[in-house]
Amino acid sequence: MSDTTTQPGVMSGSKAATALARKRDEFRYLRLATTVIVTLMVLTPILALVYGSFRTAAPGAPGEWTLRNYWALFSPGVVRTMGITLAVGLLTSALCIVIGTIITLIVHRTDFRYGKAVTMMVGLAFYFPSFILAMAWIIIGAPGGIWNVVLGTWLGLEWLRIDVYSLAGIVFVMVLHQVPFVYLTMRGPIMGMDGIYEEAARVAGAPPRRVLFKVTLPLLSFSLLSSFILTFIITIEQFAIPALLGIPAQVNMLATQLYLLVRFSPTDYGLAAAIGIALSVITGAAIWAQRRVTHSGRLTTVTGKTSRLNPIRLGRWHWLATLFCFGFIALGLVAPMLMLIYTSLIKWFNANPMQAAYTFQHYAAIFSSGSTMRSFSNTLIVSGVGAAFGVMLGLLTSYFTVRSTATRSRYLDFIATLPFGVPGIVLGLGLLWAYAYLPLPLYGTLTLIIVSFVTRYLPYATETIGGQMVQVDKSLEEAAWVSGATKAQGVRRILLPLVAPSIQGAYFLMFMAFFREISSAILLYTGATAVISISIWAFFEQANWGLASALSVIATLIIFVAMALITALYPAARRK
Amino acid sequence: MSIQVQNLCKAYGALTVVPDVSFDVHEGEFISLLGPSGCGKTTTLRCIAGLEESSGGVIRIGDKVVSDPARGISVPSHGRDIGMVFQSYAIWPHMTVAENVAFPLRTRNAPKARIAEQVDRALSAVELAHLRDRYPSELSGGQQQRVALARAIVGRPSILLFDEPLSNLDAKLRESTRTEIRRIQKQLNVPSLYVTHDQEEALSMSDRVIVMDKGQIQQIGTPQELYRAPVNRFVADFVGKASFVDVVREGSGAWRTPDGTVLPGTLHSPEGTAHQLMLRPESLLLDPQHVASDNISVPGRVLSAQYLGAVTEYLVQALGGEVRVHSPIDLGTDQVVGLSFRSGDCRIVAR
Repeated sequence: MSDTTTQPGVMSGSKAATALARKRDEFRYLRLATTVIVTLMVLTPILALVYGSFRTAAPGAPGEWTLRNYWALFSPGVVRTMGITLAVGLLTSALCIVIGTIITLIVHRTDFRYGKAVTMMVGLAFYFPSFILAMAWIIIGAPGGIWNVVLGTWLGLEWLRIDVYSLAGIVFVMVLHQVPFVYLTMRGPIMGMDGIYEEAARVAGAPPRRVLFKVTLPLLSFSLLSSFILTFIITIEQFAIPALLGIPAQVNMLATQLYLLVRFSPTDYGLAAAIGIALSVITGAAIWAQRRVTHSGRLTTVTGKTSRLNPIRLGRWHWLATLFCFGFIALGLVAPMLMLIYTSLIKWFNANPMQAAYTFQHYAAIFSSGSTMRSFSNTLIVSGVGAAFGVMLGLLTSYFTVRSTATRSRYLDFIATLPFGVPGIVLGLGLLWAYAYLPLPLYGTLTLIIVSFVTRYLPYATETIGGQMVQVDKSLEEAAWVSGATKAQGVRRILLPLVAPSIQGAYFLMFMAFFREISSAILLYTGATAVISISIWAFFEQANWGLASALSVIATLIIFVAMALITALYPAARRK
Repeated sequence: MSIQVQNLCKAYGALTVVPDVSFDVHEGEFISLLGPSGCGKTTTLRCIAGLEESSGGVIRIGDKVVSDPARGISVPSHGRDIGMVFQSYAIWPHMTVAENVAFPLRTRNAPKARIAEQVDRALSAVELAHLRDRYPSELSGGQQQRVALARAIVGRPSILLFDEPLSNLDAKLRESTRTEIRRIQKQLNVPSLYVTHDQEEALSMSDRVIVMDKGQIQQIGTPQELYRAPVNRFVADFVGKASFVDVVREGSGAWRTPDGTVLPGTLHSPEGTAHQLMLRPESLLLDPQHVASDNISVPGRVLSAQYLGAVTEYLVQALGGEVRVHSPIDLGTDQVVGLSFRSGDCRIVAR
């Protein structure tokens, strides 16, 4: 019972135990493989980008080391772009927060009658691809678009003319695209709020409006701030909307300027890389700020155990709430969708549906075109196989980070989170640069597309699966071990069944994301590896609105059907 | 079968949680590891289960060495043939009661007929046969606890381990479950180690109790030994209620309290420089008439009273200190009383 004599024994004993643990770790090689693969996938494009930002020449070409690219960041043109990027980001996020929170409050905190319908439609709008939305709004709001033809030319209301090719147009379509995201992030906090605070205010004599502004919203302020920052990040990362709406008007954001520098002459890969780094630094800083907000502990007013909240009575304002919600859905989902269907069914563009020549030729063309059909099969391979690979990698990463406290697991966690801070087009540029140098025969293959998509969306998988895995008490696995199960059996028989819903969820999320993804593929695709999003993009760039619309309609239908299917098949209530 | 722990040591980096612990659990014996939270009792249990890698020392289950880091031996949990009941029960929510209980047999590839038979037997032992097809979420806390027990015993393990299995149950259920655990353990006649911080649980269930504090074993003994003859102040205080009064040893060998009362030198005298007199509240007699008797008798004054039902717990100023006394008599505060006790009921402990 004396503890003084055992000190040397402690030292040698613990060393021996570490050696032992290493020897006995069943998953040692799997862990090593996971770490190596994730590290290679994530660090390759980032390091290539950093390398490229210090080079004078394009990837593959002989060049020299230079700081010129970073000095160029301060040229008036790039500074202007940066200003526009921040302005669009802040303005869009502010509008999204207001509109999204109002919709969430109407749906979940009032006696609004159409909550279910709005929830469903906003869910559909969330999965509506941004480049398709932007295209539809070009058909509506371009100088020769339907809006201007009908209101300006036919009705003579010249002052109502709009031009979607503008800064305002970018913000408008961005808001339409991003509001569903705000709704989805605010829904949890608003529904999970402990009603006791509002009850206390009401008992203290505060009328409903005062309760809303003095208690409810202040309590949500940290969730609102977190949602605001996240919206800001996905806005400044957004590529398709500013590319389609901004480039014709020469209103550039960082993402589009990067694209222009790489795709159109005079090309400047070095400056593009430096811009990519600058953009990543901004998103990285924003993510850091958002983490600070969520980890500050001030979100704890949201307890998750809801005492029944009293719905706010809308009374005679019900019509206004209805108008607001369905107005948004009309602008963000229904009108663009109808417009695409209309455009896909007419021979050439005509603003007057009465005089249009209707045809199925665009759909027929799609199904008879070998390259388009190949982009379909490419998309299915990339989404189906890629998502499976991504989920597998996410599962392994989560297991090794959640189920271990070792330093090496913190490293893995950090690496796997990095892609959050790298916008898609920047990742694409990094991979382009990397595979121009690396002697791997990956350039121009679907594998490279899959690698870029999986890298970009790996955090989706680790957050979803890891989030559920931490809730599975470790003693459940330990109970299996003492019952005679090996570690591998414990994972297969206990852990996997218990996190199965999150694995399905992560697969669904990744599949959908891959299906819609364009920004990280736009710099990497070749004729043989085009995916549907790229095909639509190409048709639209050739001003072939009919084909672009027809393909968009088909892609959107596939997305909506897949969503409906998975929602139906998804095990709604796990036994727990 | 038995469990043998020799010089077990467990360190996390520079932090040594259990420096050096040795004890045996004999064939069929039920031993409790008792101590406050953070005393290393759970760590010790988890080392025996193989859920933690020990840093030093030897653990044997039966004749088999299952852990000896110095020789590079560490049998993983699934090779140790143990049954364990977890504090959180850890029954698997995606399996029915019967599937949960069958798991240890299935992982060991037992024949189907034997699985069915043994699952039936284990479930009837805990009286859960009628709930075999339910899912854990449909069971009460007590029923979940019994599923965990059935799962621990179904494979006829060589040893049984319990990690505070009753701490999530309400008081009534806890008492009946204690008896049940002990009954089943006796039937199986398997050495069992039971971790708890509840002294009542440890005293009522165990053949022997190991009291731990700060990673060290303080005393190993039968419940009676621990209660009546604690080796130090920690054990005396942790096991049961007790009052302590400072005493000093006189040249004659007798003990003297601060108020000058002299106790016979025949009392057990432990090592150490400072000593205290330990008195259990039920071994003191209160007499308002202040009548002397054969016992050691001292005057006292009631400071406060707490009515507990069967008895009232009084805090009495006496012997130059404060003493807790249980008595059925009703007294008021500030009342002067006589306090008497047999010298055989008091004990000197090191401070």
